[in-house]
Amino acid sequence: MTVAILDARQWQQTVDLRTGRKIEAEGPVVDMVRGLLARHPFPGDCEPGSNTWVVDTALDLMGKYKPSFAFLTLARQYYASRYNVMREEERQDLVAEAFAEAERFARESGFLTILVGTGGMTKAITPIDLSTLDGLGVASNWSARYAGLYGLSDRDKAWLTENPHLERLASREEILALFGGGPEDGKRLPEHLAVAKPGYHFKNTSLRRLIMIPDRNTRIPVSANLGAVDSLTDIKGRVLSLLADQKVALVVLEGVGSDDFRVPHTECRNGEGWYCYEPTDAQYLALTSGHHCIFSHNGGYRYFKDDNENKHYPFSGYFTELPTGTIGLDYPGRSISVGNRSMFMHVTTGCDVCCECFARNLYNQGCMAVMFRQDKA
Amino acid sequence: MQCPYCERRCQLENGTYGFCRMYEAVDGKVIERFPDKWCSYEVSRVESIPFYHAYPGSRSLVIGTASCNFDCRYCSNAYVAKEDPGGMQDIMIDISPDNMVQLAKKYGCHNIVFSINEPTVSLPSLRRLSVAAKAAGLPMGCLTNGYATPEAAEQLGDIFSFLNISLKGLSPDFCRRYLGIPDSEPVIRTIRQLAKRCHVEVATPIIESENDHELDQMADILADINPETPWHAFRLLPTHKMTGQKYPSITGLNDKLEALRKRLPHIYFHNFIGSEWVDTHCPDCGATVITRFSLGCGGDKLDQYLANGDCCPSCGRRLYMLGSKVEWNSKEMAI
Repeated sequence: MTVAILDARQWQQTVDLRTGRKIEAEGPVVDMVRGLLARHPFPGDCEPGSNTWVVDTALDLMGKYKPSFAFLTLARQYYASRYNVMREEERQDLVAEAFAEAERFARESGFLTILVGTGGMTKAITPIDLSTLDGLGVASNWSARYAGLYGLSDRDKAWLTENPHLERLASREEILALFGGGPEDGKRLPEHLAVAKPGYHFKNTSLRRLIMIPDRNTRIPVSANLGAVDSLTDIKGRVLSLLADQKVALVVLEGVGSDDFRVPHTECRNGEGWYCYEPTDAQYLALTSGHHCIFSHNGGYRYFKDDNENKHYPFSGYFTELPTGTIGLDYPGRSISVGNRSMFMHVTTGCDVCCECFARNLYNQGCMAVMFRQDKA
Repeated sequence: MQCPYCERRCQLENGTYGFCRMYEAVDGKVIERFPDKWCSYEVSRVESIPFYHAYPGSRSLVIGTASCNFDCRYCSNAYVAKEDPGGMQDIMIDISPDNMVQLAKKYGCHNIVFSINEPTVSLPSLRRLSVAAKAAGLPMGCLTNGYATPEAAEQLGDIFSFLNISLKGLSPDFCRRYLGIPDSEPVIRTIRQLAKRCHVEVATPIIESENDHELDQMADILADINPETPWHAFRLLPTHKMTGQKYPSITGLNDKLEALRKRLPHIYFHNFIGSEWVDTHCPDCGATVITRFSLGCGGDKLDQYLANGDCCPSCGRRLYMLGSKVEWNSKEMAI
């Protein structure tokens, strides 16, 4: 059983991560994590202390748990630029703050700290409305440029093909061919995937006006201390190699591309061919598992079909099972992850102890910690 | 001329708008400024909205427009409800009633729920949508602050078969300071009026030391209307003008609610992760009939539906319920 602790500020609940139901749990790791969450209330995704919360919480946890691998996400600058109107100088200040926090973490932890940017942002243009299709368009909250399409009529296809704001209309077969999949891999792929041109985005479930969205980031920056890597999927293997003789941290800086990267860096591919990742679960899984996972995790799957009362992992978003082969699960030493990207820490890293904010559409509900392992020496 | 929709009864003149900025007077008639313009349509669980006693387990198409007739200091959807609706039109979607119904069907939804802002500010559009939805067999529900004129409340009852009405506070002082209205009497009137003809649940965001002392009086009002009214006590999430304020104590507030559960059997306490007070128990024998997960702000979901239809599985007592369990994928259609 995997124990999860929910912290709603001054009140905690302990549940079985798979069933979501309340359990009694105790032990040195559980007790330590309860105290950790109580000491570090999450300030909110866009609040000034958000990235500081990540580093403070990680350092506190590392002091108690003594891991050899740490995974951190710093996302305040991504959320803030996505939803708030700001001058470029203000956005740069946010990016500088994220790098300062990463530097503080490296200095105070003493870990070899590798930084990865998820890609730069661009100004959002008027959304593309798919409500008039004869078929069905599905755009998820965090994916701006991709939408899944089902049951398209000839009229729909003509409209989409001629739409000047679309970059591509790819069939399921094209996606399978691009990522080397067979027909059996396409069950969770949409029949077609619409790809918007940079700046354009699909009207999705987000109620907030989008100010900036991920650019078409075919390449993303990686700090030079990792050495050159060809692809995002190569990072996991390189980090595991480094972990053989030193303590390593991987710090993800959301919404940061090469132009804004403030330490020496190289670039790696952020996808395959025409498909490049946005900062979604798919990008995280490519980073943490070393494989492209878009057959299961793409911007167009009708995720809501799985969302009945029989779905497991009610506190893990739309995930029906937890991914295997993630870096925390594969690394035999002690590992932790901390981030202000809700849900992603425990689902995509598989580290022994994962601590994340619990925010829904920027509504700050508190924090959640998941303990996959409590038995490592 | 006077706007007939909400209890503010704003005077509308040529070129001027009322408080909500959603209506104007043209040729002696009050008309919508932005008919059939919607801010969103998305799939949701009915428990998330929240409705705990209406079509449990069903899939809803959640929709909204823009603006509101309240000025709540803690508004959680201020980016829709408090913005100038005229300035939002570039991101609004023009969807006809028939197309909205088709969207609901294509998304496999059992019902349509207006829950993002206040329905009173968009009643003519909602009336047209309800005609199309009724023809397609799709029930409609809404969240509302209940600050409607009696005539508009009748329209709400015509349009919606299930409503969650917010009883945010009682005293004139609280209403003025936190909601921007003079008093709560019209809201209570709307609850009474609609409870006679529709399925009604009630929601109350609790602000510690501000309206928690009114819970007892609210319980009296609800018990008088229908003691089995599902009452959703929300832990206030400090947002909008209250950002940065202290989060209310969960244990302290639940202690107050626990005393009221003797009078009202269906008092829920949620709007925070992991709440233990989201299950339904039989008012007679106490058996657990429905269990749920609380994921905080708009995320609740059904866990187990143990009732037999709408009856207690243990003693057979009929529960206050609109419909009974709806299978999540029962309305899926081939696309």
